[in-house]
Amino acid sequence: MDLQAQTNARSTRILVLASLLCAYPGIDATGQAHLDYPANTYVLPTPDPVMFPESFYWHCFERGIDGILIASCGTDSPYEGSYERLAARINRVYRQMKERGLDIRRLRLTAICSVCTKAFVKEVGDLARVVEELGPVAAELARGPEPVGSESP
Amino acid sequence: MADRGSEGSDRRRIGVYVCHCGGNISDVVDVEAVAARAGADEDVVVAWHLQFMCSDEGQSTIEQDVRELGLDRVVVAACTPSLHETTFRRVVARAGLNPYLYQHANIREQVSWAHVHDQAAATEKAARLVEAAIAKAALLRELDEVRVDAVHRTLVVGGGVAGLRAALDLARWGMPVVLVERSNELGGHVLRLGRTYPTDEPGRALIERLVSQVRDEPLVEVRLSTEVCQVTGYVGDFHVGLRAVREETDGHPCDEEVEVGAIVVATGFRDHEPARGRYGFGHPRVVTLADYQRRLYAAEGEADPARALGIDGPVRAIAFLHCVGSRQVEGVDEPGASGRLNTYCSRVCCTATVRAAAETRRRFPAVRVVDVYRDIRTYARDQEQEYRRAGEAGVVFVRVPTDERATVEPAPREDPYPLLVRTRDTLTFGAELEVPVDLVVLATAMEPGPVEDLVAMTKAPTGADGFLLEVHPKLRPVESAIPGILLAGTARGPMDIAESTTSASAAAAKVATLLAGDQVEMEPFVARVDLSRCRGSGECVATCPYPGAVGLQDVELDEGVVVPRAYVNPVACKGCGACVAVCPNGAVDVQGWEMSQYLAMVDAITADPAGFPRAIDPSEVTTG
Amino acid sequence: MSAAAFARRIDADVLVVGAGIAGLQASLDLGDQGYRVLLVEREASIGGHMIGLSKVFPTMDCASCITTPKMSAAAHHDLVTTLTYSDVTSITRVPGGFEARIVKRPRYVNEDACTGCRLCEYACPVDVPHEFDGGLGARRAIAVPFGTAIPQKAVLDLANCILCGKCEKACPAGAIDLLQEPEAIEARARAVVLATGYRPTPTDAKREYVAGRTGNVISGLDMERLLAPNGPYGRVLRPSDGKIPERIAYVQCAGSRDETLGVPYCSRVCCMYAIKQAMLLSGALPLADITIYHMDIRTFGKGYEEFYQTARSMGINFVKAKVARITPRPDGDVDLRIEHQEEDGRVEDVRHDLVVLSVGLEPGDDVGRFAPVRTDRYGFVRSADAALDVTGTEVPGMFAAGTALAPKDIVDTVAEASAVAMRVAGYLRRSTETADELVEVARG
Repeated sequence: MDLQAQTNARSTRILVLASLLCAYPGIDATGQAHLDYPANTYVLPTPDPVMFPESFYWHCFERGIDGILIASCGTDSPYEGSYERLAARINRVYRQMKERGLDIRRLRLTAICSVCTKAFVKEVGDLARVVEELGPVAAELARGPEPVGSESP
Repeated sequence: MADRGSEGSDRRRIGVYVCHCGGNISDVVDVEAVAARAGADEDVVVAWHLQFMCSDEGQSTIEQDVRELGLDRVVVAACTPSLHETTFRRVVARAGLNPYLYQHANIREQVSWAHVHDQAAATEKAARLVEAAIAKAALLRELDEVRVDAVHRTLVVGGGVAGLRAALDLARWGMPVVLVERSNELGGHVLRLGRTYPTDEPGRALIERLVSQVRDEPLVEVRLSTEVCQVTGYVGDFHVGLRAVREETDGHPCDEEVEVGAIVVATGFRDHEPARGRYGFGHPRVVTLADYQRRLYAAEGEADPARALGIDGPVRAIAFLHCVGSRQVEGVDEPGASGRLNTYCSRVCCTATVRAAAETRRRFPAVRVVDVYRDIRTYARDQEQEYRRAGEAGVVFVRVPTDERATVEPAPREDPYPLLVRTRDTLTFGAELEVPVDLVVLATAMEPGPVEDLVAMTKAPTGADGFLLEVHPKLRPVESAIPGILLAGTARGPMDIAESTTSASAAAAKVATLLAGDQVEMEPFVARVDLSRCRGSGECVATCPYPGAVGLQDVELDEGVVVPRAYVNPVACKGCGACVAVCPNGAVDVQGWEMSQYLAMVDAITADPAGFPRAIDPSEVTTG
Repeated sequence: MSAAAFARRIDADVLVVGAGIAGLQASLDLGDQGYRVLLVEREASIGGHMIGLSKVFPTMDCASCITTPKMSAAAHHDLVTTLTYSDVTSITRVPGGFEARIVKRPRYVNEDACTGCRLCEYACPVDVPHEFDGGLGARRAIAVPFGTAIPQKAVLDLANCILCGKCEKACPAGAIDLLQEPEAIEARARAVVLATGYRPTPTDAKREYVAGRTGNVISGLDMERLLAPNGPYGRVLRPSDGKIPERIAYVQCAGSRDETLGVPYCSRVCCMYAIKQAMLLSGALPLADITIYHMDIRTFGKGYEEFYQTARSMGINFVKAKVARITPRPDGDVDLRIEHQEEDGRVEDVRHDLVVLSVGLEPGDDVGRFAPVRTDRYGFVRSADAALDVTGTEVPGMFAAGTALAPKDIVDTVAEASAVAMRVAGYLRRSTETADELVEVARG
């Protein structure tokens, strides 16, 4: 079986890093309201997504997480300046993704409040569509970056 | 893969319990299959599925298994952890395990309720979430609440109405208090208020009433003419240097040190001093509201306004000007002596002004009174009556357009009145008014008290307005960002007497909660440094937003080499994990949320079912 | 009464009446100090008005994000016992403290068995206007009160139930119990905190505004629900026809500062909530024109004036004017007769397509009915000392906090709730010996 066939043999997976105070209860509320969203979504709670280093995102992509939704508290974060720190870090990850030829739409930074059910469904739905369009991350990683010069402006 | 004991003898003994929730989960998720997959994990000793895990039956099953099968970790897959995580931690503790050796998987709100229409996918997701929970459980450590010995004594800084109230409450609760006041008298600003809102009690009488109650408390030690000169330590154990107030304090060492568990900052406010010339400030016939109130109530029996108010010359007309130094707008107003533009409302001056204006009319019916305002903010329950009474007493109200200001100028010499107030009045078709008066009263703003030194010593932050800043106006309104440092009264912003005493009692309540036991106890979810990996880069210190939470200290290695290494002060750490992400050596973790545990969960979620090779060999991919 | 013989008996150090933000905060601060608290709530969920709000000023954080942690902390607190759907019918002074009679109304659902799965709700064929959404949305005759309710337990509304039995069949826990009776509970506590909160002044109080009572003249609390992410429509639409509003008016002091309505006082929160809603609306509906008709803008709290200035710079219109009359038009729009209070003082009719009445706050309960405290002429609890002891009443051991004392915002309420906890704790520490002696005396 070649690599492409192998990767297509398994379904895509989306990881959600959900802030304990805002997004996690918001995602619970989504379930309570019986609002559907893709079932390949795995939610990990965290005190604040600011704790994840760049390497964590790479670990995820390399293990086969095809899309990551960072569901933070946004500027409602109980921790001082954490959203700004987080946003700066995600910008660095975006640069690394570009360098390695990963579509940056696979990583999405957003804020979800504790009753923001529709916002969650929309965000995770958008990401799922992107992942569906792009296919498994493994294939993209294996392809690597586009040759220099062919980048669009 | 993270290390979880590779040899057979080192394997964990995990119990997994999958809840049906009376069909809520089991109608969508194949709980039997989930339990079976969990049971296949080498670390799992038992994997059950039961009707209601939260029931007595469910709880006792766990307890029994921990005891009889020697489980060392427990995983429950059920509803959201916000409902029952605490329940199951307690069950685990009852069974004799550390309560933090428990891991919860949410397969109701985040699986069965969300994916009703795709049962196969829901089952697959539930199984993977349980496998991830097992992976994390295997790496869980025993944790203990953070505990610091608490000194059973509190320092109250400031002997005004807020400081007195806080000291009294704490003493009545049983807490020894050291009350430090810079001046040589207790009472602060209230002492000098003629009649106070809302009870009309003279300020001095009100303070004397409070002071006599404080004096009755043997637990309160009052230190007048004393100031704070140094603060070290942390919640539960602050070391505070005190010294006598002298003419020249600069560089003078502290006289003594007191040990306290908490500090209540009740340093009050300062009166705004307008820029010279602005609103006629500096003219002998232009006084502040505080000054006017003192004069008005000093000679209550005197019927002649000039004699009562101590004015040299006839008093026929008085103008009151609101918002002097408050609600300031860049380009319209100029800063006063403080050098700061005060954008805030000072909250108390409207009521104080309309009361003084009404009282003036009642006492001296022949005196015309004009009240020049932007908005009348008599907000508290009975204040609106005061406003109405002022109108009934004949006070003439003039409303200045929001972005214009009244001016006060000396009148030409030939005029019968010494001062001219010029303004536009939006209540009378925007008419240009020129009001000749004998006296102008300025309702000056409340400005932050002199706390620069204290702020430098404690690192307690101030807001853009210069007042001490609360952590959150609704969640934690009387707490500063520094644990154990509480804010009482107008140190936090403009307030009236009742609001000050209320906030003082609230600050006392937080002290009581903190120091109720012999130790300050906090959740264990704080950062921890792995000294075997730390190389002393200091990145964690640079990124941490909380003063004193992480730092570097010298550590002696084997050969006598001294190197800097990070340490965490668990009392000051809030557990956000900002330091975790920036450590170049992966030496910092937040307890209960360790990075290795996250990696193990990701591995479990992405692991391919038996028979399928991994999509891509991670060793073939290099991290950038 | 013979039922008393079978009454459940609960002993606590402190009885807290009302589980809104004031009662919750006071209970937590007392529980954290080691006192046993009995927290009694009239509604089926704790959380009070705050849990239904959208975002809260001046920080604009989502109300439920900061209320739910307090609700859940109280519900899980070892020392706090919570009774919902329960009325305190009397509190009397007895030696050593107070005795309270409480009636827990029947939910017709066994609270211990119900898991909040909502299968009953899905099975129920009866739709009823949802109180939580100000009647704008619908709920079923049996339902969990709302998504963030604590406890997550269904309530059967017998008045609207058609006894079809569908919920009984649907319930996997066998929790439906139509024979449930009111339960009499007797509580003893050494101190009492009255945190009975407020209720909005009625929208029909003012005669000049009654004519305008159509679906498109709503109260500020209704707008909170329209703006909430979990609101009835999920977006802001005007109720009568679902049109997206373009010209929204706020009528300030609609029920406050008006002697003729018996509410001469300022309700203290309406300026800020109107400004907050206007800011949220201008975010949700960028094209909408929003005007706030007011007497004085009272943004006196910390950071509030700055909040007001931000709203002005966002283009929200502030007009100093009295609204003399509200008249509905056939097309659903609403005419406001405006008496300008500035400049030329002209009177004009202005057309809006959605009108929000900034209703004020009045006492949430007639406290004098069940507790031996004095209230003022509006029904607010009187403080023993309005300067130095706001939360104390004239009855030793009985305290009050929050909007039970007077209108106030959440910021001031939370501080007052912590303050009352301190006063109660100080009282309990001082009264320990005396209380025990009194109990001895009573027994002897």
